[in-house]
Amino acid sequence: MIEAAFFALLVIGMVGAGAGVVLLNRITGAALLMAFTFLCNAGMFLLLGAETIAMFQVLIYVGAITVLILYGVMFTPQRDRPYALFFQKQTPLAALFVAPIAIAVAVFSFSFRDSTAGPKGADLAPLATSVFRDFAFPFEVASVLLLAAMVGAIVLVKREDE
Amino acid sequence: MIPLGAFVAVSAVLFFIGVTGVLVRRNAVVILMCVELMLNATNLALVAFSRRGGIPDERGSVFVVFVFVVAAAEVAVGLAIILALYRNRPTVDVDEVHAMKG
Repeated sequence: MIEAAFFALLVIGMVGAGAGVVLLNRITGAALLMAFTFLCNAGMFLLLGAETIAMFQVLIYVGAITVLILYGVMFTPQRDRPYALFFQKQTPLAALFVAPIAIAVAVFSFSFRDSTAGPKGADLAPLATSVFRDFAFPFEVASVLLLAAMVGAIVLVKREDE
Repeated sequence: MIPLGAFVAVSAVLFFIGVTGVLVRRNAVVILMCVELMLNATNLALVAFSRRGGIPDERGSVFVVFVFVVAAAEVAVGLAIILALYRNRPTVDVDEVHAMKG
């Protein structure tokens, strides 16, 4: 019962804040609502009994990625624009294509009737075993990807005239 | 007990909110935020399916960790591209960037 109430609160928070990211004109507000969506998603992970993933979610998404996005907002000009120029010209066409797929997928997703694991705790040990035994090579490749992304980001924003 | 379908439905709704944002907004930074929303929705679906039937299978969570890595790399390179673009022409409006338009 408490689980269901918590789930309903998280759904309202996630969908409401997600819609706010798309609809809000103030870009700083959109970024903070995005952080709130990430936080609600961490709550969902807790409900599913994946507390390690929830911790990573708070550390990486709510912490790091939101700060990066806020820096992006700071470094680019955000002038207020009329609401008529808010959306792209292709909006009706996009709605025409996305809406049928979205409705079909949302209806289909309710067909999964299986139960989910509740919070039992201690998912860190099996996760670590899985990462470092079955997925050791992809883990190393991921670190190379992060290094390449870091070098690429530095090269892209480096000034030429220094 | 919350059924699996509820989690998957929330994930689908959040994913399509992100798709809508990517397709309709003009501001490049907001488009980046909406891509992050889509990645989050896939994370939720992956964790929900890895808990299917009440038996945790951590392989789904491993994929979530890799999605975290890719999302961090993507947002770093994406913001670098937006800043480089802003240096060349002072706009973050994707409609005004049409140098490669045929």
